Amino acid sequence: MLSRLVIVSANALKGSSPLGAGLVQVSRCLHASPQSLSPVAPLPEKGGKVRHGIIPEELFQLLYPKTGVTGPYMLGTGLILYMLSKEIYVINHETFAAASIGAVIIYGIKKFGPSVAAFADKLNEDKVAKAQEVKDSAMTSLTQAIEDEKKEQWRVEGRSMLFDAKRNNVAMLLETNYRERIHMVTNEVKKRLDYQVALQDLQRRMAQEHMVNWVEKNVVSSITPQQEKESIAKCITDLKALAKTTQAKVAV
Amino acid sequence: MTLSFFDQFSSPMFLGIPLMALAIMLPWIMFPTPSSRWINNRMLTLQNWFINLFTKQLLLPLNTAGHKWALIFASLMIFLISLNMLGLLPYTFTPTTQLSLNMGLAVPLWLATVIIGMRNQPTHSLGHLLPEGTPVPLIPVLIIIETISLFIRPIALGVRLTANLTAGHLLIQLIATAAFVLMPLMPTIALLTTVLLFLLTLLEVAVAMIQAYVFVLLLSLYLQENV
Repeated sequence: MLSRLVIVSANALKGSSPLGAGLVQVSRCLHASPQSLSPVAPLPEKGGKVRHGIIPEELFQLLYPKTGVTGPYMLGTGLILYMLSKEIYVINHETFAAASIGAVIIYGIKKFGPSVAAFADKLNEDKVAKAQEVKDSAMTSLTQAIEDEKKEQWRVEGRSMLFDAKRNNVAMLLETNYRERIHMVTNEVKKRLDYQVALQDLQRRMAQEHMVNWVEKNVVSSITPQQEKESIAKCITDLKALAKTTQAKVAV
Repeated sequence: MTLSFFDQFSSPMFLGIPLMALAIMLPWIMFPTPSSRWINNRMLTLQNWFINLFTKQLLLPLNTAGHKWALIFASLMIFLISLNMLGLLPYTFTPTTQLSLNMGLAVPLWLATVIIGMRNQPTHSLGHLLPEGTPVPLIPVLIIIETISLFIRPIALGVRLTANLTAGHLLIQLIATAAFVLMPLMPTIALLTTVLLFLLTLLEVAVAMIQAYVFVLLLSLYLQENV
């Protein structure tokens, strides 16, 4: 633990001793970043403008006020002719070799330059697209999560209605069940009472029949033969009287 | 300035000061430093892409212990390819045409692979001296032959690079001289010779890249055997 203290303090004291400034500079060659917190300046999108592939445009702009448009070309031609005529540059076999390799280089750049540049741009664009995709997918998933949350909140509002409906359902079921059971009880009781009533009816009827039979039997047995003859004679005289009256009615 | 055919291959001197170190360090200033930005300019993107592709391709057959050599292989490749390509420009000196430089690269690296092999897995390295499936009577002869081929490897590495580049440069110079000399005499022939020179230059560009790649590839092969 104290070793960390030593390291930290040694770091802080690096610049303060007599050799301090020199010690600080020793490790500077190993630094990979500029060691400052200032914001990074943006890179220029394209390189500097050049004319004919190698000559910077700034030269033409520099010479334009004094020598016009043809100035730099005259300068170039003059320089070349000077070097040739004074034999500062001698034309030898290397000139041919230079022309050859120059032709190869120019052909290569003209033909493959744009495609190589497009390839490099595509590499960078793929990198950016990947990061963008991550960001986009994160955003869509988060918005989706917000939507789902809102829906859940709406659902919570309707929850009490749901509970009321369920409660009503259950109450109805209980009520129905209760009524069924009461009905059943009533029916059962009625059946028992009906049975008792039927039983009583049966008993009374039997008693009545029995009495009627006994009375009939007694009456029939009490009718003597004398009484029977008398009653039959009476009936015949009654019938004769009736027949006479009826005949009289018809004649009238 | 009058040029003989030897001037291209002589070690550069200026007022008695040897400029060899400058010639070797020149490619270093041509390459942009990787920055800590996420998206770089085209030059840096292409450089990073090339180095990544090359290193991945080269280290594919190597096991994990061989991946320690990734930095030296990548830097060796960039070094050799830039020296070779810069040498194709006129009036330039190509350090890789000097046998001293190429042997200075080949012998220590080859020796390192052999020593690593002999130290860490001696039986396995010595086993490479005998190919599989040789008939028994041939074994002694084959061991001698394989040992000779093992010791010829650094010489072959260095001399291959030197010879290819020197021959190429010399051919360019000779054919350019022929075209130059024939121009006032027989312009048509000179034109044909110029066409030949153009084709040769294309070949030399290819050779420059291929020789650098072959050098590094063979070293990685020797490492693969021994690590």
